Amino acid sequence: MQDSTFTIPNLPEELITEILKRVPVKSLLQFRCVSKSWLGIISSSDFVKTHLSLSANDKEYKHHRLMLSFVQPEYNLKDCSLGSLLYGSVTEAFDLDYPMKNPVKSVWIVGSVNGLICVAIEENDLFIWNPSIRKFKRLPDSMPTLRCGYYFMYGFGYDEVHDDYKVVGIFCIFGAGGSYDVEVKIYGLKSDSWRNVDDFQGGVLLNDSGKFVKGKLHWATTARLGEYNGWDIISIDLKDEKWGKIEQPCYEKGNFDFVLGVLEDNLSVLCNYHKTRADVWVMKDYGVKDSWEKMYTISCPNDPGKYMFSPPLCMSKKGEILLVFGSIFMIYNPSDDSIRYPEVTNFDACLEAEIYTESLISPVLQNEPIPQQQ
Amino acid sequence: MSSSTKFLTLKTCDDKKFVLDEAIAVRSQTIKNMVEDDCVSNVIPLPNVDSKTMTKVIEYWKKHSEEGISKDMLMDFDKAFVKVHHSILHALILAANFLNDKEMLDMMCQEVVDRIKGKTPEEIRKEFDIKNDFTPEEEEEIRKENAWAFE
Repeated sequence: MQDSTFTIPNLPEELITEILKRVPVKSLLQFRCVSKSWLGIISSSDFVKTHLSLSANDKEYKHHRLMLSFVQPEYNLKDCSLGSLLYGSVTEAFDLDYPMKNPVKSVWIVGSVNGLICVAIEENDLFIWNPSIRKFKRLPDSMPTLRCGYYFMYGFGYDEVHDDYKVVGIFCIFGAGGSYDVEVKIYGLKSDSWRNVDDFQGGVLLNDSGKFVKGKLHWATTARLGEYNGWDIISIDLKDEKWGKIEQPCYEKGNFDFVLGVLEDNLSVLCNYHKTRADVWVMKDYGVKDSWEKMYTISCPNDPGKYMFSPPLCMSKKGEILLVFGSIFMIYNPSDDSIRYPEVTNFDACLEAEIYTESLISPVLQNEPIPQQQ
Repeated sequence: MSSSTKFLTLKTCDDKKFVLDEAIAVRSQTIKNMVEDDCVSNVIPLPNVDSKTMTKVIEYWKKHSEEGISKDMLMDFDKAFVKVHHSILHALILAANFLNDKEMLDMMCQEVVDRIKGKTPEEIRKEFDIKNDFTPEEEEEIRKENAWAFE
């Protein structure tokens, strides 16, 4: 068959869009130079959003990846395909050239939303990065005036009302006799600046990044340092910076560690009963106390030295859940209470794992000079 | 009420007529709306679809309406069905869009996606018969913005 014997019907822009919204990001970056019309489609903010929502809702996880952070043998970020991890046989992790990469500087994944990832280098140098299009934005310095004895937490999320990506920093500064002072700041990508937030009423924050659910960032707090006999879950709404508190279920008795997570866009809590089991609670209907449900109980595998579960990262089509156990991946199947460990090459002992969706969302606003990653 | 089969006559743009079981033809939302709104006279004109394309569409509809057909058999059928020259694929996309058969449109679009991802802009232009309306300088500028993606 010769091409010349066929006339190729011209597809209207609406159908070109229908096709392009399923195309992976890297191909779209190339297709920008096909023609002016294709460039227009791929660059339009409506298209970028449609493409994102189609990718994000795909349960095959073809366009989802896991960003992984490492401490040993040196600080590093890698990523791997989530679809392959859940549904494939062997998954390869790839070393990433992230902005400001330095093997002796710590790297911490703050959070991920809409394909953008917020990363902190040495805990105070932050950038918002889209690894799929290799664009990033370095944040201005956020540090309050520091005294002795402090720690800080960040959270990263999206304010849909103002179409803005925001970072919240909570800085706890300890004084004499167990007193402490808290400063909260919020950064907005559009204004590219930090502002103070008032009215913080939480206690002492547990050492973790804010969890982004339903437009709000969440942290677990305890009333006083060293007294782990109860946790609160506090939230801040990114659209109006209002603080709130989440009502919790009655967890089962026993000594347990408490970790917040996000599963399928719902807030989750993992109760880690020391070396015996972990319970996973999920709040099915946001803000409704009665909607908390204990969805999984996972017995701790008899593996000396490893007993820390992460909250589940995601659920597969078959209802399995993916977690990090110790520092490796574990897939738990609740239907037969079985556990398997997916094989990942170029991988060992990760510190954090965060899911992100490949997207065209740019952390660099129009008319801004673009810092290029090589 | 009679439960006997009702037939519709479809007429393509090249004046060919197709007689089809109404239960099958209403896979097309467009035809379904016409039937429901009672604006079906003797013949339904399909001014945007030619007979060659319509033959393929009907082949697809009939297979997908077969009673007792297994999922695996349908998957094999679909796989073979989309193995056509891209000019036919594009014609089928236009037809599926006009007839408003979302399932078919999704499948056809996915097939195009599987074919084009990984291809170069030059290959895409050829496959879609698109004229490059950038000047060499403009194109170079756009390529430079994401040079790594072309490696």
